[in-house]
Amino acid sequence: MRVRPVVAVANREVRTLLRNRALSAVAGLFAVVVIGLGGASMGSPGGYVSLTYDLLLPVELLVPVLAFAVAFQSIRGDDERGTLSILRTYSVSRPEYVLGVFVGRALPAFVAVVAALAAAGVVASLGAPETSSFLATHSAGDTPLVYARFVLLAGWYTLATVAFVLAGSAFARTDREALAAGIGAVVVVAFVADLALVALLTTGFVGDLIGVLVGLAPASAFRGLVLELVIRPAIATDPGVATAHPLVSALALAGWTVIALAAAAAAVWRPVEQ
Amino acid sequence: MSPPVLGFEDAAFSFGDVTILDDASVALESGTFVALVGPNGSGKTTALELFAGLRPLDAGTVTRPATDGRTVAYLPQSPRFRPGFTVREVVQFYGSLVAEAVDADAILARVGLSAAADRRVDELSGGMARLLGLAQALIGDPPIVVLDEPTSGLDPDIADHIFETAATMAAGDRLVLTTSHDLEAVSRYADRVLLIANGEFVLDGSPAALLEQAGEERLRDVFSAAVAGTGRDAVDVDASADGGGE
Repeated sequence: MRVRPVVAVANREVRTLLRNRALSAVAGLFAVVVIGLGGASMGSPGGYVSLTYDLLLPVELLVPVLAFAVAFQSIRGDDERGTLSILRTYSVSRPEYVLGVFVGRALPAFVAVVAALAAAGVVASLGAPETSSFLATHSAGDTPLVYARFVLLAGWYTLATVAFVLAGSAFARTDREALAAGIGAVVVVAFVADLALVALLTTGFVGDLIGVLVGLAPASAFRGLVLELVIRPAIATDPGVATAHPLVSALALAGWTVIALAAAAAAVWRPVEQ
Repeated sequence: MSPPVLGFEDAAFSFGDVTILDDASVALESGTFVALVGPNGSGKTTALELFAGLRPLDAGTVTRPATDGRTVAYLPQSPRFRPGFTVREVVQFYGSLVAEAVDADAILARVGLSAAADRRVDELSGGMARLLGLAQALIGDPPIVVLDEPTSGLDPDIADHIFETAATMAAGDRLVLTTSHDLEAVSRYADRVLLIANGEFVLDGSPAALLEQAGEERLRDVFSAAVAGTGRDAVDVDASADGGGE
């Protein structure tokens, strides 16, 4: 894989996002919601742990929506305009093109999510009494560092969801399919995987595997990582029961990203050997 | 005559029951401007995609030159470039995909788009968008340029300018292959005409040679005679447009 075509395509994607007012509005709306929730926690005695709890569900649901807005038209748009055929004559390989689109779309989304959450953290910390920043006595405690872990995990979750939506855009052959695939990716990431897990639990065969299974779906993997790596170290009383297996969750989140990008690269166009 | 740079040998391709190429062979030389014509649905666009390497043949071989850089430039019918970018930025983007340095302004000057370099592509007319497509076709100096109906829907002056530009591109050591329904322009600008129908290249020659061979004065009449009864069985082109009464 060559760096130059990846950088060239990524550069174009970044500039496309920066020049699209609708996408800027979606990112702005995400920031308003997240910072608003941070403002609601301003001065809360719960500190960063409480803020993380408050933001966990909204982030889990809104990040896929942001990813949808950022990526659902990306590859499909090039195909529909005829520019994908033009690009192919420049000997840009499928992995190079898909990686370029992913970097160019996911990086601004990552920055938007991380910046909004960081701003929410700053807003929430305003007016907090000095002593309330510590809820716990555990090694990590309720520090900005703990909240920074949540922010970075949310950024990582953003990359995975953008990859999912990108794969949908690569598989779509019409604008309507692209829309359906993008919404489908959001629904699968945010809801269906969790529902499947709940359905599995009702069968009674899961037993001790719950911590592993939670890690297999993107949203629950993100949630599990937050609960295990952000919340658990910060609270005073260890609940004793693991909510997720962090290693499995981390591998799954990375794995889904790679699988989605590989699927997008396979689907974007049919290779011609002649 | 230059050696062939692009060709089919016993090429076959079909979409299910619809045959596009049926053991078709042809060889095209550099330095020529070739027009591929044929009735609607005869597979001109698909043939171009097969020539350009965007689709694989079902059988047979396609010959293209072995080059280190860009081998074939392709311009689809009615291309639309990424909105929000200027004409110069589009050329610069495609230029960043080839190894050699690209002078965007010089390339735009070659197709007559210098004055529109700072204009956003979503503000371009159809003709200017095609010219921008021609400009990107020059990037990387490919030995083969393939154009899909570059003048469809354009006014005669812009269409003539595009044909002239394409013919100029072929004047050097480059093959330019285009599809077109504008047979009057084809007879004026093309060095060679290929007529595709029923999976075969049924006519092949210079416009003058085809006219002489058929004893006609217009390429339009040569076309009609060649495609009569082939591939258009379901369309009665002589039918009255007044409602079809007795």
